[in-house]
Amino acid sequence: MTAYTKKETLLQATNVSLNYGDKCILRDVNFSIQDIIRPGMQQGQVVSLIGRSGVGKTQLFRILSGLQKPGSGSITIRERKPVENSNGSIEVYRERKVEPGDMGVIFQNYYQFRWRTVGQSLLLAARQNKMLAGKEEDAIQRYTDQFDLSDTLRQYPQQLSGGQQQRVSIIQQLLKGSDFLLLDEPFSGLDVCVLDKVVELLLQVSLSDELKTLIIVSHDIATAAAISDTVFILGRKPGQPGSTIVKEIDLIERDLAWKSNVREERAFIDTIREIKECL
Amino acid sequence: MFKPFEKISRQNLVIMVVLQVLLTLAVWQASPIGLIPQPLTIIRALGHLFTTRLLLDNLLVSLLLTLQALIYSVVATLLCTYLSVIPFFRPLAQFIVKCRYLTLTGLIFIFTLLTKDGSQLKLSLLIFGIVPFFTTSLLSVIMRINKQEFELCQTLGYNRWQTLYEVIIVGKADQVFEIVRQNFAIAWMMITMVEGLSMSEGGIGALLIKYNKYNDLTNVLALQLIIFWIGLCFDYLLGALRNWLFPYTKL
Repeated sequence: MTAYTKKETLLQATNVSLNYGDKCILRDVNFSIQDIIRPGMQQGQVVSLIGRSGVGKTQLFRILSGLQKPGSGSITIRERKPVENSNGSIEVYRERKVEPGDMGVIFQNYYQFRWRTVGQSLLLAARQNKMLAGKEEDAIQRYTDQFDLSDTLRQYPQQLSGGQQQRVSIIQQLLKGSDFLLLDEPFSGLDVCVLDKVVELLLQVSLSDELKTLIIVSHDIATAAAISDTVFILGRKPGQPGSTIVKEIDLIERDLAWKSNVREERAFIDTIREIKECL
Repeated sequence: MFKPFEKISRQNLVIMVVLQVLLTLAVWQASPIGLIPQPLTIIRALGHLFTTRLLLDNLLVSLLLTLQALIYSVVATLLCTYLSVIPFFRPLAQFIVKCRYLTLTGLIFIFTLLTKDGSQLKLSLLIFGIVPFFTTSLLSVIMRINKQEFELCQTLGYNRWQTLYEVIIVGKADQVFEIVRQNFAIAWMMITMVEGLSMSEGGIGALLIKYNKYNDLTNVLALQLIIFWIGLCFDYLLGALRNWLFPYTKL
């Protein structure tokens, strides 16, 4: 098994509930994401939130992103902030409730401003990141080269393919500088070739920084689980209203994380079956 | 060509329109209706009007007044609409929208008291007539903004003023042009009415009233034709300008 340790809690969902009128959508959702340390390498976190259609994934996604307030409970994140002192710049950490803008959010339809070219959109996002002050253009160039989008900088979103739009959305949120990247159904509607590229891209992002945390909300169980280190299953418990986390599966413990051919392993196939049974 | 939702080429469309217009004119020419002048008579009158300075001078007066009114109206509309997203200013915008139901005729005397001369009276009446329509259209654009535009701003960490700038001011600039284009007709229609209030300064409206007074229907229709063509030209120009300034609208 790969050596690893779990350290500080990066995100904590505590008793999150949501009601629409009398209808309970989410009930006592509790989970946490911890910083995973792998000796000798920079390893971010990839977490999947899996559930059936209509189970409340989108609502939980919006609550996690700070775009919607929960009826009760809270989402707390560990924030990293650079501070200047006599010895130069150091990073300090503090825990606080999530607010809109804390998470990098990639919507299912990769929404972009239709009046901005790709270059303009990326520049606007980079300007929001104080760490990139004065180096925005370089950062954009680096990311667009890496994600094969250099030729699209002068194009409008309407001129891009679905895959290109998704990559632009990801770069935009990466440039903004958030440690958390929240993705709503990133594998939905993609053909097999593009799907492989997206998976590769997400893995690349997760390895770009120790604290980079990807939260994937999806109903594509196999693809999501194949790149995750932890799977949270959102479902309903018999006799209780609303959805909650019915199971947490630690894929590292099962030696199913960070493996390129994990889909072919017997244990992975069994895990997928186990997840399906929980839904 | 006779099937519902059938798509036809641009070339075929032009040919079809030209043929329909020619057919209408031919029928009109061949069957005179009482005192209504025939197309050839109107075209001759139009030719005569073009040879006099009268038409050009009056046309310039009207165009300048319309453009002036449009500029002031657009500025006033933008100010009211942008401010309408701030709750304190929303009632003002809503009131302006409701002013569409006020008739200008009933307000002429009040405006006469409030303005210094005929020129100011015409300009202020035009602005008062145009702004409610512009504001109504622009407010409806703001009301229909996709929620995701605001949410994208939120996820990018924009504050509310940055969101206002990005989503409404920059993001809807193309729509402002479209609204001006669509509502130019209102301004152009009103110009003939307000020019009748102070005829000493001339204008195509004053000229129209003069010809109407003497039942000179041939010149009235010739002037109507000019008003119609100028309206169409402005419509095309504003559309072309919008496409040039905001290329993404064509995508």
